[in-house]
Amino acid sequence: MISVKNLSHSYSNDDKLAVKNISFEIEKGETFGFLGPSGAGKSTTQGVLTGLLKQQDGEVIVAGYDVKKVQNERFNKIGVSFEQSNVYSKLTAKENLDYYAKLFDVPTRDSVELLRLVGLDGKENDMAGEFSKGMKHRLTFARSMLNNPEIWFLDEPTTGLDPAIAATIKDIIKEHAAEGVTSFLTTHNMYIADELCDRVAFIIDGVIKLIDTPKNLKLQYGQKLIDIEYTDNGKIVKETLKTVTEADRRRIGEIVNNHDIQTMHSKEATLEEIFIQVTGRELV
Amino acid sequence: MLKNVFKIFSRDLKIARRDSMALVIMIMPVLLAVGLVFFVPGLNDTTVNIALLDSDTSEHVAYLDQFAKIEVFGGENELMDRVAKRDDVAAIIPDGNGYEIILQGNEPEMVENYAKALNALYEIGATKEETTAAMYSFGHTVSPVKTMLVNMLISMIIMLSGMLIAISIVGEKSDNTINAVNVTPASQTAFVLGKSMMGGLIALLSIIASLIITGYYDINWFMIILVGLSSMLLSLIVGFVQGLASDDVIEAAANVKMIIIPIAGSIAGYELLADKWQWTMYWSPFYWAYKANMLVLSKTADWPTVLLCTGMVLVLSLAVYFFSRPKIREGLS
Ligand SMILES: Nc1ncnc2c1ncn2[C@@H]1O[C@H](COP(=O)(O)OP(=O)(O)OP(=O)(O)O)[C@@H](O)[C@H]1O
Ligand SMILES: [Mg+2]
Repeated sequence: MISVKNLSHSYSNDDKLAVKNISFEIEKGETFGFLGPSGAGKSTTQGVLTGLLKQQDGEVIVAGYDVKKVQNERFNKIGVSFEQSNVYSKLTAKENLDYYAKLFDVPTRDSVELLRLVGLDGKENDMAGEFSKGMKHRLTFARSMLNNPEIWFLDEPTTGLDPAIAATIKDIIKEHAAEGVTSFLTTHNMYIADELCDRVAFIIDGVIKLIDTPKNLKLQYGQKLIDIEYTDNGKIVKETLKTVTEADRRRIGEIVNNHDIQTMHSKEATLEEIFIQVTGRELV
Repeated sequence: MLKNVFKIFSRDLKIARRDSMALVIMIMPVLLAVGLVFFVPGLNDTTVNIALLDSDTSEHVAYLDQFAKIEVFGGENELMDRVAKRDDVAAIIPDGNGYEIILQGNEPEMVENYAKALNALYEIGATKEETTAAMYSFGHTVSPVKTMLVNMLISMIIMLSGMLIAISIVGEKSDNTINAVNVTPASQTAFVLGKSMMGGLIALLSIIASLIITGYYDINWFMIILVGLSSMLLSLIVGFVQGLASDDVIEAAANVKMIIIPIAGSIAGYELLADKWQWTMYWSPFYWAYKANMLVLSKTADWPTVLLCTGMVLVLSLAVYFFSRPKIREGLS
């Protein structure tokens, strides 16, 4: 559904690149996570893919359309949720969606239902200008679903939302994935990426460091760890041991055989830890 | 495409109705028109009645009839009775080779001058095209001062149409909504046309309302609308450019207001410059628009002249458009 080859982008139109020669493919129905710290070039990439930023270099095909050519009808198949919410402050929540819906040439979803879905029921007739930041963000998110998009661009869909609402948004994204919607999801939240994405790309300073499934990454880079608590001469001792190194495995056996085990948990390395391991950088 | 133009237009209209500044801009011309009617009284009341004898040549009667309200009397006595009545009538009767003007004596000087001038024009054989617009309007029901003021009001409304666009663009910029529209099937062209329609239609309605309020019912409305729409083009372009260049509404309004300088200059040029210097104003589309409106309001316009003026307005505005188009395109993407 999305094919990107050797894409570079410079805001100043020179060799100062915000995105450097990146390539990736996204299959139909896939949820693709674009992960990286602030300023990595995530929004820039989404900008080029949605045609909002001029494509300068490389080749980008989205939903069968070459992004370089101006073909506005392609937006009937595309939904875009922006990082910074952008709604008409002098229109109500419902008016915002109804107006936007009319610009599409395809059947659109009911605005009231969408507002309910993102927890804005009861606010239909309130001016969007009076909304809180999170409410505007949800309105922007709801708007991106109006045209039942086949390809969905989500720039930081849960950032700045309280956990309950963030969970609702995650559920909505999962439902769409189950229905076969292709998503390009940008985030610096590794838990969200882990939970929602079929594959993730790590991007830093405009360069993609790797692309893989969260599961493969954990198998490859993450070492399973075991936290053991046991009593030793009446004192409680805690140790964290790797399941893959020979010495640690022997140590686990020793503890199990000779001590009274209090608790024992296995835990996986998080995507965040893997990110730090691979890129040498924190995800801030 | 058309559907989207209309959707964008109606959305902009809805937002303009909720914006206090846009609202003031929409209402102001109507208030000014009402003010013109109430505070500049007597301007409507300039019909010149001329009494003639039926022994006069039909050519003379027909000529004067173009410029004044003519009453024809069978005999000199009846004619003198008419002149003696309270209202202002000038009688013009044949006198030897020429004509004699008879007045009661209490008429304003204007009536006397007008009758004299009109008859002089007849005697030198001036045709309608050669006499000046002011002369015509003087003779018809409308005074030139009023026409001038109303024409200035129209120029102001034209400027306001650009201001509405600028306010609307600044609003989109502060809400950051241009990007949102850019990811719908609605094209940039539809966006620009929809917005222009909002500014243009409001201005057109203001012009029509102002003309009705100030009593210009029987003018050629097609001409007024044609001139109005074409002269709006430049104002709309200025609105887009300034809206995109400004960060807030006040700044945008202040920037758009600057086109009052060429507008006022064009009006002053038209009204004050001698004929042989009029060409120095030919560069200004506002000059051509003002001139065309003047002719239409004084009911002396003919289609060739109006089309020439409109053509000049369009050519000059389009030149500005092609100059500023890259700026507008860039600003909207
Ligand atoms: N409009 C702009 N003009 C110039 N430079 C820009 C612009 N927008 C972004 N940049 C630069 O491009 C680089 C990538 O920015 P981008 O917004 O794509 O990062 P991001 O990964 O989306 O970050 P975040 O997580 O903070 O949203 C940054 O160095 C940034 O300073
Ligand atoms: Mg970003």
